Amino acid sequence: MTLAADDRRFNDLPPATQTAVERRDRMFGWLIASPSLALLFLVILFPVFWALYTSVHDYTLIAPNFDTFNGLDNYVKAASDPEFRHTLWLTAFFVAAVVLLEFALGFLVALMLNTVERFKSVYYAILLCPLLMNPVIVGLIWRMFLHPSLGIVNYLLSTIGIAPVNWLGSTKVALWTVVMVDIWHQVSFMIVLLLAGLSALPREPYEAARVDGASALRSFWHITLPLMLPVIAVTLLIRLIFAVKTYDLVYIMTRGGPGVSTDLVSYFIYRTAFVGLNIGEASAMSAILLVVILALTAWLHRYMRSLT
Amino acid sequence: MIRKWLVAAALVTGLSSPAFAETVNILMEGVPDTEYVKTLLPEFKQATGIDVNLEVVNYAEMHTKLVPQLVAPSGSYSAIVVDFYWVGEFTKAGWLQPLDERIKADNIDTSVYVPKLMDLVGKVDGTTYMLPFYNYAMGLLYRKDLLADEKNKTDFKAKYGFDLDVPKTWDEYLKQVEFFTKDGINGVVNQGLRPDPIAMEWSNYLFANGGEYHDDNWKPTLNTAAGVKALEQYATNVNKYGPVGSASFSFDEAFNVMAQGKAYSYITYNFFRAGIDDASKSAVVGKVEIMPVPGTEAGKGGSLNGAWGWAIPKSSPNPDAAWKFLKWVESPEIAKKRALQGGSPTRTDVFDDPDVNAKYPYAKALKEMLLTSHNFPVFTYTPQLVEVLGRELSLAVAGEKKAPDALATVEAEMSELAKKDGKLK
Repeated sequence: MTLAADDRRFNDLPPATQTAVERRDRMFGWLIASPSLALLFLVILFPVFWALYTSVHDYTLIAPNFDTFNGLDNYVKAASDPEFRHTLWLTAFFVAAVVLLEFALGFLVALMLNTVERFKSVYYAILLCPLLMNPVIVGLIWRMFLHPSLGIVNYLLSTIGIAPVNWLGSTKVALWTVVMVDIWHQVSFMIVLLLAGLSALPREPYEAARVDGASALRSFWHITLPLMLPVIAVTLLIRLIFAVKTYDLVYIMTRGGPGVSTDLVSYFIYRTAFVGLNIGEASAMSAILLVVILALTAWLHRYMRSLT
Repeated sequence: MIRKWLVAAALVTGLSSPAFAETVNILMEGVPDTEYVKTLLPEFKQATGIDVNLEVVNYAEMHTKLVPQLVAPSGSYSAIVVDFYWVGEFTKAGWLQPLDERIKADNIDTSVYVPKLMDLVGKVDGTTYMLPFYNYAMGLLYRKDLLADEKNKTDFKAKYGFDLDVPKTWDEYLKQVEFFTKDGINGVVNQGLRPDPIAMEWSNYLFANGGEYHDDNWKPTLNTAAGVKALEQYATNVNKYGPVGSASFSFDEAFNVMAQGKAYSYITYNFFRAGIDDASKSAVVGKVEIMPVPGTEAGKGGSLNGAWGWAIPKSSPNPDAAWKFLKWVESPEIAKKRALQGGSPTRTDVFDDPDVNAKYPYAKALKEMLLTSHNFPVFTYTPQLVEVLGRELSLAVAGEKKAPDALATVEAEMSELAKKDGKLK
């Protein structure tokens, strides 16, 4: 957002009534914002428009050109592909699972950490470790840990008498295994953001509540939660958008298998583009995904605002 | 004055460039065979004065790095290596230079190559685009110590009525898989991960049962008695005789099970044969041998072929120097030197070489394996077929689809791809 656009004075006034100084300020605002706007255009808007343009053409890696305009063909093909629809539903389930579980777990840990006085930085350092790791490495490490006969997880379980678990080779377990690894990897993100929100809360309402004899649970319910809503909304939104894009973990750990039990939509779109060589159809799928994410974001944003 | 200097400088650099050593740039995958080539490069420099610069990356990066350079009018790679997966795509897009005239002019004998390899990574529709570089055909790794055990021999004979020995047919092998699933050992370990590991491994099961992917007109022949039997045997091996979780194993995980002595057999790429005798990775050094995947009857093989080929792209900045390098690296002497370091040869004369056989006694088995091997369909959509196959096989192994249904789906999608490519009328 630019300096000038942010300033209410300029936006509320019709241009004719602006003074020369104000106009110069406005120009200067655009001037200093232009490099970042240009960069945004180049790295975000241009690819988006390019993808939209590609999605209405028969553009393949065998014949990479825009010779054949085919309207909504790619969209119709994508929407009628049962495999694509399956991956969309599976992704919805996966996103709901990881976001809700990570939020619950993250909020709990953040609340606990918020009351901790000593060694805070040590806890932070430990918590941030997984977050700093590349998802590919996380996937590889967990693949080793979860090896059914040679991995450490099943070995530890065997010492307390639990039979080896088929972590990645069973259609019923594999998706939950990926969810678990994603939680291990990403939950610190939730913790850090929520903790930042918690530590910024004012002290006074809590003191007043204590004077009035409110229990810890009541003050959580009536003070912490309402005050935290904006932070929670942002945290959920960011995590949700990232979760929809989950690709690396599935690529490394399961390749969508066994069967089609972990075939998330981003990995499916990647395959359509670079294995099926069909960039046009893959772009159409991405556009559909973009619309879904935008709608979801808008809805969540509104819903959270209606609560505050 | 400055302008004069600039012109002079430009002239000097322009005129003197031929005097500089020429460089051949090649993009290669980080595999043992690439390392062997690397060690021999000083010899090439000495013989021709040409520098060779190998850009070594991992497999996942290769295709994405290659395509922009191949599409450009003048790319940065003088020569390239082509996986058989890409042969259809690269030749269809017209990215490779035909080599026939160069081969003729230099009297190169391509008949020394294993014919199946020439079909896979040499000739496409009668035109030679590549010279086979190294092979990664699949073979059967088995525990020879378990086969030699006297108690096993008598028990096996009592149970099945014939002698326990190196399996001569596929059915004999399946009996052994069942027999050896005991005492904490599995009869087999499979690589059931989607898409390549399972698709490549299952291909051996298909060929071993006498099946093929398509007939002469590219009509798919998967949903047949052989195909269904192959898929049912595969699912049984994973679910009944294999270790827990092999439905999601990639080849490294499956190899580890074999190398830790937890399985009797494993069908895999032949370059793993060397790894099994490496004491830092393996607990069964000297106890494992490789053989061609047995077929329906003795002498018939069921192995899947696989290989890389050398090629010169149309966008090559210096194709003549690249050809000099190809000629050198595929010459009998250099091919032999690579094989002696542990490389996977493609030439029959290298397989027959006494020195190679003395150092690697299993060279004979590898040659036999290649001669009786079968090729995966090579066309523009090979990677897509692998993807479809991987998905359906995995569904069948997971018990979510019956074998005939899964294979019918593969046939339908394969027909569509073959039609799109103009192979199937």
